[in-house]
Amino acid sequence: MNKTPSGSQAALRRLIIVIGAVAALVIFSYGWTVTDIDLAVPQQPVRQQNVGNALRELLSPNVFTQDYDIQTTTTQFAIDCVEDPAAAEPAASDQPYIVVTPACGSSGEIVTVEGYNFYPDSLARINWIATDGDRRIRQTRETNADNFVTHDNGTFSVQIEVPRIRGSAGEIHTVEAQGAFPQGSPHISNTTTTVLEKMVETIFLALIATVISIPPAAALSFFAARNLMRPVRIPLGNLLISIVLLPIGWLVGSALLGQLGLLALRLTNGEGFAGTAVIFVFGFASVASARRLRSSDEASSGRLRGIVNSVIVAVAIVLITGVLGGLGQLLDRTINDGILGYVATFFGALGDLAELMLVAVGGLVGAFTLSSIGGTLTRDALKHISVAFSHISGAVLGALAGAIVLGVTAVVGGVAAWLGLLTPVIAASLAAPILPMIYRRLAGGSPIPGRSERSVVAALSLAGSIIVFALTFSVLSVGRALIEGTLPSQAAALSIGDVIITQYVGRAMLIGAAIGGIAGALAGTKSNFPIGDALYTATRTILNALRSIEPLIMGIVFVIWVGIGPFAGVLALALHSIASLGKLYSEQIESIDSGPIEALQSTGANRLQTIVYAVVPQIIPPYISFTMYRWDINVRMSTIIGFVGGGGIGFLLQQQINLLRYRDAGVAVLAIAIVVSVLDYASAAIRERYT
Amino acid sequence: MLVIENLTKIYDNGFKALDNLSLEIPDGQFVAIIGLSGSGKSTLLRCINRLVDPTEGRIIWNGIDITAASDDELRQIRRRIGMIFQQFNLVKRASVMTNVLAGRLGYINPLYSFVNYFPRSERERAIAALQRVGIEDKAFNRASALSGGQQQRVGIARMLMQEPEMMLADEPVASLDPATSHSVMKYLQLLNDEDGITILCSLHFLSLARAYSDRVIALKDGKLEFDGLPQDIDDDRFRQIYGEDAVQVEIN
Repeated sequence: MNKTPSGSQAALRRLIIVIGAVAALVIFSYGWTVTDIDLAVPQQPVRQQNVGNALRELLSPNVFTQDYDIQTTTTQFAIDCVEDPAAAEPAASDQPYIVVTPACGSSGEIVTVEGYNFYPDSLARINWIATDGDRRIRQTRETNADNFVTHDNGTFSVQIEVPRIRGSAGEIHTVEAQGAFPQGSPHISNTTTTVLEKMVETIFLALIATVISIPPAAALSFFAARNLMRPVRIPLGNLLISIVLLPIGWLVGSALLGQLGLLALRLTNGEGFAGTAVIFVFGFASVASARRLRSSDEASSGRLRGIVNSVIVAVAIVLITGVLGGLGQLLDRTINDGILGYVATFFGALGDLAELMLVAVGGLVGAFTLSSIGGTLTRDALKHISVAFSHISGAVLGALAGAIVLGVTAVVGGVAAWLGLLTPVIAASLAAPILPMIYRRLAGGSPIPGRSERSVVAALSLAGSIIVFALTFSVLSVGRALIEGTLPSQAAALSIGDVIITQYVGRAMLIGAAIGGIAGALAGTKSNFPIGDALYTATRTILNALRSIEPLIMGIVFVIWVGIGPFAGVLALALHSIASLGKLYSEQIESIDSGPIEALQSTGANRLQTIVYAVVPQIIPPYISFTMYRWDINVRMSTIIGFVGGGGIGFLLQQQINLLRYRDAGVAVLAIAIVVSVLDYASAAIRERYT
Repeated sequence: MLVIENLTKIYDNGFKALDNLSLEIPDGQFVAIIGLSGSGKSTLLRCINRLVDPTEGRIIWNGIDITAASDDELRQIRRRIGMIFQQFNLVKRASVMTNVLAGRLGYINPLYSFVNYFPRSERERAIAALQRVGIEDKAFNRASALSGGQQQRVGIARMLMQEPEMMLADEPVASLDPATSHSVMKYLQLLNDEDGITILCSLHFLSLARAYSDRVIALKDGKLEFDGLPQDIDDDRFRQIYGEDAVQVEIN
């Protein structure tokens, strides 16, 4: 034993390693037991035979098939004959014939049947036809099987037993040989045809799911990229005004913009061609005004330009959605046949989707437009107000915004018991900065906090969060909902027109108003809110939660929603791909060269322009590469999504396995193996070009 | 006139890059900023166009307080301050033309950026800018296909698109060989002479500062160590700025 301190440290380290190894051994042994590993089971003869049979069939896939013509030939056999009948040697011909020796015998005797001119190496069987006309299959004594295989010269010689048939003595029975003669050339089996059909469905299922997932994933990836979102901060006052204006914008937008879009859709979908002209006039007018704004931008203030721009964009979005939707429906109605028919049906479906979504799109666009206009208009006013008034307005706006935020989460939380946790969590995260703000106000402190101050702040924000979480949890009786799975009561506290605010939502709104009011009052409208960080965290959380749910489980839910079939599979894979691609894409954004971003910011480009000109060119190659990779994964996934009813080849494979038709299942397995390996190779080749 | 008052920058990790720095730079001056790595040269330049937000102090340019500008105002200010970088900061996969046009983004309607459209007048302006730095024949090459000196000239052309009144150059020649360095510095001198653009240029080599600048500002640990004419830096001053063991290296 070494007695120096370093020696004892080394000994301690060795001891820790030994303890770790022992612990690892224990954990592994426990895992061994939990997973029911029993080495005796695979050695049981029954199981070995079963697996042998299953594997043999799986590895003999029923890809090709051959049609057979069954040719029959007969000869006489006398039972317990008085005189030995002369062996009737048929004239040599190319027709199949059989000879039974002896041609006379008693029940239970073994006779030899020889066949000639049968098809080489093909199946044949012997039947015994008594005077009653019943056909009895005689199993051969060598194999105890109904069928046997002819020799390669087209002959056979098998031994059969004369059947024991009561009272047959003296009768003349018929011995019949049936031989299979191939008809035509070998061809692809029906199983193969079905598998190919389903394979095409599977590949398209994966393709459509991947394509659907690209736009949302690409959009979300920007919000989930830390380097882009981290620096984004806006004055708290602007944020609060924007939040307060969101619901108003939603109402106005869904009413005005939504109706405008629906009008555009109705006018273009063929119910009034004159309307199309109106839409074009609208379009030209907006483009022209955009151009004129550009030429006069030095004179007019940038702010007004921004507002007009955002209104133009909002109107343009709903008009374009409406016009395209209407044209899609028109196309669907006019073209019905051929390849164009598929295209027209597709556009028609998009048109119907547009019609369904227009009110919501209008609401969303209206909400964001109004809130951004509100933020822009009040920016100057908020900047020049006095410090005291900034805290008062912070309190008022904070209370309103807090009530709106918690009201919305409470509505979501009313849907299912465990979603009720959302409200306390959001309330806690809103309340986190309150105690640190009070502490800073009391303690003063430098702009850059020291390490001890940082830990005090962290402890305070954690404490504040826990208190508010517990408070909200008990006020909304989330605990009861969690245990009993009950939903909050729908008792109305207040109703304004059609909008009914339940007591549950009302209480959440009061809590939100209190927290928002206090936080807003402390921070004041001039403080900067890290909106980028908040959006980043929210997006990442949602993406991670979605990614942790397996597509098979999503498939089960979508099968309930839209029924068994490939549509459910498409939805499940698309949803999972959005989460997965969103994460992969955002990691690519995080790893880009920040130099061009810095350069474009320094030219006075706005955030959107910086993204379009500095970020997008850098991320296109990795995006293509990761999309290919995801398509590859989706093809694999789509082969098994059918096991839960999601369509594609998996559904067929499951049926074949359940019916124990392993030779048919073998075809499906073979097809999957070929497609997956081909795509694997193709996607690797394409990705290599882009990285 | 650019006035810097009591500028201090402390990064989140506690590093004090600038320490109570005050300066006045009249319009049209060619100012070289020298100092060791980490002395605050880059931070000073980035504070001026607020790529880095200063912790304390004010920067006032032609009567406008840059440090108090809102996002909108800041974009208006940044349009008139050009910047070039040691690593050129071009989008390497994009064409030279696109890189140059990107310098004009602050002026054009943001709606055009959705569809990657630039009006004809802007394209002509970009060709003119490339002609000025002598690489108009490379306009439709990929930026990554150009040599270092050519890439820096694309950077200058991009900056020219802004029609800047002031220019920040962050070690513009540190990645270039001596001959190319002189060619790039001559372009900066040309812009200073012909267009009257105020230039703040951080440099590693004192010889370059002597050859091109009107005034040298030396930083040491975020503080102003020297402010005067290039020829006033003798060996003693040099050792004050760069430390006792430093030896002057000439770049020809």
